[in-house]
Amino acid sequence: METLGFLMDGFAVALTPYNLMFALFGAFVGTLIGCLPGLGPANGVAILIPLAFTLGLPPETAMILLTAVYAGAMYGGRISSILLNIPGDEPAMMTCLDGYPMAQKGRAADALAVSAIASFAGGLIGTIGLIMLAPVLAKFALTFGPAEYFALFLLAFATLGGITGKNPMKTVVAATLGIMISTVGIDISTGTQRYTFGVLELYEGIDFILAIVGLFAISELLFFVESRMGRGRDKMNVGKLTLTMKELVMTIPTQLRGGVLGFISGVLPGAGASLGSFISYTLEKQVVGKKGKFGEGDIRGVVAPEAGNNGASSGALVPMLTLGVPGSGTTAVLLAMLISLNITPGPLMFTQNADIVWGVIAALLIGNVLLLVLNIPLVGFFVKLLSVPPMYLLPIVTMVAFVGIYSISHSTFDLYFMVAFGVAGYFLRKLDIPLVPIILGLLLGPEMEKNLGHALVLSDGDWSVLWASPLAMGLWIVASLGLILPYLIGPLLRRRMNAAMKESPVSD
Amino acid sequence: MTSLGDRILGLGLLVLAVAYGWAAQQWPEPFGGAETVGPETFPTMLAVVLVAGSLYLMIKPDPDAQWPVGKSAFELVISLVVLVVYTLLLEPLGFVIATTLAVGTLSWRMGAAPRLAFLTGLLSAVVVFVLFNYGLSLSLPAGLLEVL
Repeated sequence: METLGFLMDGFAVALTPYNLMFALFGAFVGTLIGCLPGLGPANGVAILIPLAFTLGLPPETAMILLTAVYAGAMYGGRISSILLNIPGDEPAMMTCLDGYPMAQKGRAADALAVSAIASFAGGLIGTIGLIMLAPVLAKFALTFGPAEYFALFLLAFATLGGITGKNPMKTVVAATLGIMISTVGIDISTGTQRYTFGVLELYEGIDFILAIVGLFAISELLFFVESRMGRGRDKMNVGKLTLTMKELVMTIPTQLRGGVLGFISGVLPGAGASLGSFISYTLEKQVVGKKGKFGEGDIRGVVAPEAGNNGASSGALVPMLTLGVPGSGTTAVLLAMLISLNITPGPLMFTQNADIVWGVIAALLIGNVLLLVLNIPLVGFFVKLLSVPPMYLLPIVTMVAFVGIYSISHSTFDLYFMVAFGVAGYFLRKLDIPLVPIILGLLLGPEMEKNLGHALVLSDGDWSVLWASPLAMGLWIVASLGLILPYLIGPLLRRRMNAAMKESPVSD
Repeated sequence: MTSLGDRILGLGLLVLAVAYGWAAQQWPEPFGGAETVGPETFPTMLAVVLVAGSLYLMIKPDPDAQWPVGKSAFELVISLVVLVVYTLLLEPLGFVIATTLAVGTLSWRMGAAPRLAFLTGLLSAVVVFVLFNYGLSLSLPAGLLEVL
């Protein structure tokens, strides 16, 4: 009941016209970001951070804007999956399997509509799960001491690559690099200058916002330049909506299953939205059995993964909001926004910044409704935008990133830094070093060091305190499993995912 | 399939890790005497982890990615130069002129027709400038256009 009261307060925050306007704007921009290939959700949210910052938005509005973008990107990813057989973002991969065949049969409009509804159902289920689970977890997290937090951060890094990740060692290297960058500047507890080389701009440390924007946006531009896909694609025809009520009712159980499964895999460390949509799709295939025509344009094959990935995107907010430990790239970027708004994420946020937390949660609910309303009539508009060639779009996006960073500090020094990060990001991506752990390292590094310090001061320098409590020990075990499991079952899972992609007759 | 990329990366990271760890040992003892956790403790731990990681990369490298050669590499260098020159000229020339040139050149190099490319640049520059300076009252440098 207490939760319900908070939620009502949240609605009061989110429903003010000002915030509602930003939620609508965010939902719209998010869908755009999601549907444009090559502009993933993490990337899109990253570019918007400096803007939200320079606009001087109050914290709750800024968070509502970015959460709406996040939810919108998950909606948008499906559009290019269905129409072009090219997933707009990774979690939308499974939607290609049945969405594209449906489009080829002339039922593109139906596929788009039903997937919007499935996204809505998944998002709704995920948000309800978030509302129920988050306060409980936040209360539990209050019992964490510094040693437990230190172990928790390790867990976050270890599982970030995901069970399907390719090379866990590269995740470790990436995370270490990120933490190393975060140590630049004056040490908070002793005042020692670390790695500043006497450069004044480095005394305060490296601003993670410019690192994030550089790593994502600039490296994306460079990748596009290299692959020379500037031309864009042909116009698509969406056709008429022929979806019947009966079909829609038939998919309800699928939506529920997909949403719940997606939510669970979103909450769990190391699973994420991609696995969520994969599990929902495979389970659906097994439940329906031979009666379905999966891979040939079965409507449930579109519903399941979409409900799954939107459920997962809400689920991924649970660890971010309650523990301050994001489980995915986009939630890591959202965390960056929180930190730069001077809000300490974690269990205390639920008591100290209740209006923000519940405002964000309420905004997710409202955002989902807005997105559904936006997506069904406006789908034609989004489809048109899909044919805007990246050769015009990407330079403009890059310019917006420059403007955003410049307007924070009005110094070109930061811009050079951003370009340097972009070049580094390009090389790292080429070498298969994931960027998300770098970002997470940048964000969590200072907290990690602080907790290590506290734990050791409390124990009077005894290092074993780090794994002394059963809870901390458990976290260490899960963290090591997170590094070992990808070697054992990762190849298996990956093979299955690939096999699922190949089974479908259209994948070429 | 060679795996030179990971080996070079590993070597580079190893050098970085050693330099990073070594630098951490050079800091003066903080005022008030040494504690268990000084400013150098955490960086030292990181250096050890990175040494291990870089050795692993050198011993068990992944196969190489396709690196751009010839024209692609050339285009990449051009884009980079554009970005740096853009930053350099942003304040002296002003936002509108610099952006028109930068966005125009980038989209031209990505395959747009030159006239259309620079038109896109000019249009987006003016829209963003007006939006920021008048709509949001955040001043972007006007540069040469200041006299107007």
